[in-house]
Amino acid sequence: MNLAVYIGRRVLFLPAMLVGITLLTFVLSHAVPADPVAANLGEQAAANPEVVAAFRHQWGLDRPLPQQYLIYIWRLVHGDMGTSISTHQAVTTDLGQDLPATVELAFAAMLISLAVGIPLGILAGVRRDTVVDQISRGGSLIGVSMPVFWLGLVALVVFYAWLGWAPSAGQLSPRLSRPPAVTNFVVIDALLAGEGDIARDALSHLVLPALVLSAYSIGVITRMMRGSMLDVLGEDYVRTARAKGLSGLRVTLRHAARNALLPVITIVGLSFGGLLSGAVITETVFAWPGLGSYAFRSATSLDFPAIMGVGIVVASVYVFANLLVDVAYAVADPRIRMG
Amino acid sequence: MTQGTRDGRVPARGTLTRRNLVAATAAGAASAAGQRLWRGAAALGAASSRDTVVMAPSYVIRSLDPGHTLEPLGEMICHAAYDALVTLNGEDLSNPRPHVAASWMVTGGGRLYTFTLRRDIRFASGNPLTSADVKWSFERVINLKSNPAFFLDNVAAVTAPDPYTVVLRLRDPQPSIISILSNGALGIVDSKAAAAQGADAGPDAASRDHAEGYLNSHSLGSGPFILESHTPNQEVVLARNPRHWRGAPSIARVVIKNIPEASTQALGLERGDLDIATGLGLANAQTLMRVPSVVVKNSLIAASFVMMVNMDPALSGSLANPKIIQAIRYGLDYDGILKIAGPGAVRMAGVIPNNLAGALDPREAVKTDRDRAKALVRESGIAAPRGRMNYASDQTSFGIQYPILAQKLQADLAAVGITVDLNGLPGAVALGDYRAGRSPALFGGYVADYPDATDFLVYLPGRLVGKRLRWPATASAAAGELAHWGDQAEQEADARARVALLQKVQRRLLEIGPYIPLFTPALPWGYRADLRGVTFNSVWGTDFFTVRRT
Repeated sequence: MNLAVYIGRRVLFLPAMLVGITLLTFVLSHAVPADPVAANLGEQAAANPEVVAAFRHQWGLDRPLPQQYLIYIWRLVHGDMGTSISTHQAVTTDLGQDLPATVELAFAAMLISLAVGIPLGILAGVRRDTVVDQISRGGSLIGVSMPVFWLGLVALVVFYAWLGWAPSAGQLSPRLSRPPAVTNFVVIDALLAGEGDIARDALSHLVLPALVLSAYSIGVITRMMRGSMLDVLGEDYVRTARAKGLSGLRVTLRHAARNALLPVITIVGLSFGGLLSGAVITETVFAWPGLGSYAFRSATSLDFPAIMGVGIVVASVYVFANLLVDVAYAVADPRIRMG
Repeated sequence: MTQGTRDGRVPARGTLTRRNLVAATAAGAASAAGQRLWRGAAALGAASSRDTVVMAPSYVIRSLDPGHTLEPLGEMICHAAYDALVTLNGEDLSNPRPHVAASWMVTGGGRLYTFTLRRDIRFASGNPLTSADVKWSFERVINLKSNPAFFLDNVAAVTAPDPYTVVLRLRDPQPSIISILSNGALGIVDSKAAAAQGADAGPDAASRDHAEGYLNSHSLGSGPFILESHTPNQEVVLARNPRHWRGAPSIARVVIKNIPEASTQALGLERGDLDIATGLGLANAQTLMRVPSVVVKNSLIAASFVMMVNMDPALSGSLANPKIIQAIRYGLDYDGILKIAGPGAVRMAGVIPNNLAGALDPREAVKTDRDRAKALVRESGIAAPRGRMNYASDQTSFGIQYPILAQKLQADLAAVGITVDLNGLPGAVALGDYRAGRSPALFGGYVADYPDATDFLVYLPGRLVGKRLRWPATASAAAGELAHWGDQAEQEADARARVALLQKVQRRLLEIGPYIPLFTPALPWGYRADLRGVTFNSVWGTDFFTVRRT
């Protein structure tokens, strides 16, 4: 099968999946036994039927649920995700504001995970049962088992409060102003505005939360890469390469590691989706104004349009991450698309 | 490894080659750029740090439009950007002072309030503040029918007989109206500028007003600060208003950051990246007490923490029995509860917080007496009293963790033979159940909407909280009489007589009502020691006008 056809078929499947996701998110969020009136109106206002009726009317909550859903879908088709009850902004504006911060964080965390996890996994596989392997296995076990909340706070205490190496929590130093929003990626916006000092400050703020967020995926990638390397190193073609007199480094990197990367691609794709949607704890500890924090606030204030918006974005990220993984697989191993 | 030239010769150390020259130039440029960037950032930080105050509060903003806001942070920002007719002096909630109103006069049997306005006030836009703006602002709050509308429920009409006189005609006498008018939501809006942004104060304002979006990111007031920017859920920046009538404030910028994690706030305050933090939590505040560069305070909040029982036995079971309610009062270990509430919290004898005139003396409070509690259980004739108590399992208020307090109440009552089954719920669900009158028993803090004891008459039968506990004024003759006393207290103009009435109301409330008063909480918060004039009150938090750096 042609690669383009393969991708096209996967993309065509996307709208149906998104509609299913909206329905599921809508039903689940309305199944919660709580009322947005309680979460959004004060004590006295909530006791005034006139105020409550005005609130319900303003947010369309006085309509039957099926009608609310159909209106939502109709607007969604036209690119309108509704208005957030909490921020009074279009949900698309909110997401455009908060999603880049999470993408920035997740991307940095993924880069760190790959830069650390893959070499460490290769090294552990090649030096099986040596001290290097033991350290790598121990480190990855700690990475996957350590609670992010605890790790984040410890990292802040050690590197920010005690050693003073890391800057304060947040995307920027508190006394700096954000650059004019163009892309909502602070580093890029700062560079576009010619504010090199703000870009540098933003990059320095990214390091610690990205390291903390990457701890889990470093552990997973290291373990996966090590296991995969052990499988590959026992293959005939590796033995043949050695028999041909190729150097150990060349055999490891060109013949073994390249093939061992295939299963790691799957993990990387899913981990990236997980980093985007699961950064809420890291974002809370580091006061990082991203999608995770937005999702948490939306859920606690029963902000239905925002909850729906987050659901759609997170699901889309997973779907696209899976698609990218499949495509990467197909590119790396032509037998897959042919099948 | 030694690098060779293209023809294979290795240059002698120190020889200037083309590659070395390029590398040296690039390195020099990068180093210079790096140093320039570093110096730039450092200089920027140094220049702005002296006259910028960075604050991390408990961050919930639903609206920054005075016609819609009610939550504490919205009130604080509105207080900074909009001047109200009257104001409070820091943490003193008892003595409202003239502000936009230079003076006022009460006539018509306590129903007519005539305010004389200052003549030297201009909005940040340059427009003069007149009585027309006051009338327009109040009518907008009334007609928007939003969160703060209830403040002016008793106002029958607002008139502006001349540019500097405003008359409020009330339906019933209400001395507390002066305290109410100190609220940030009742700040005066520049009516001309607001109308140009789609604001409306007419009877149909609820549907015709379209200014909330604009007012969420811009301010149109005469306060000492101007709303410079608002990034929802991230930060609010206030800039000094150079036109302010009391003179420009000492602080040029206030940055209010959303830092949800208490420990992160504490670290930021300790390191000096934050100047004021009000969401520290009890444990962090105690740790910070050892840091000399930080001042930690526990400020009494105008709030009452009370345990309540639903008066409908179908919901609360045997807990609604009057003897059992009395047994609960005597069975609780108040010293232990105060430890959970943290330093600064004060035992409360009635339902009115200790920092408001009308509160009962804490020495009147019920003392723990487990034998008496057990005797009351026996007198009730109920062999094994049992009931369910709802609480918000995800809530922490003023550093008090609700699950810990719930477990303490349960353990104390178990010791006197009363079984309480805890029902931890998400905050929004617990609140919804309570407001719908479905909570069997619960505890919580009622925070003053305005700094006057009459706000706490909500506990009376037939009023806000009473209704939610299914306790109408018609429940009994005693309940009806109590409700009547409450009405009298609300309208009493003489301050002494009013305090006496409020105290009588509370004593009776404890005899026949479903309430077990616990404590008036204190907020643990902190600020950098080089700041002066920093206060915190529970109505509008910190007044940034008085803050300065030494």
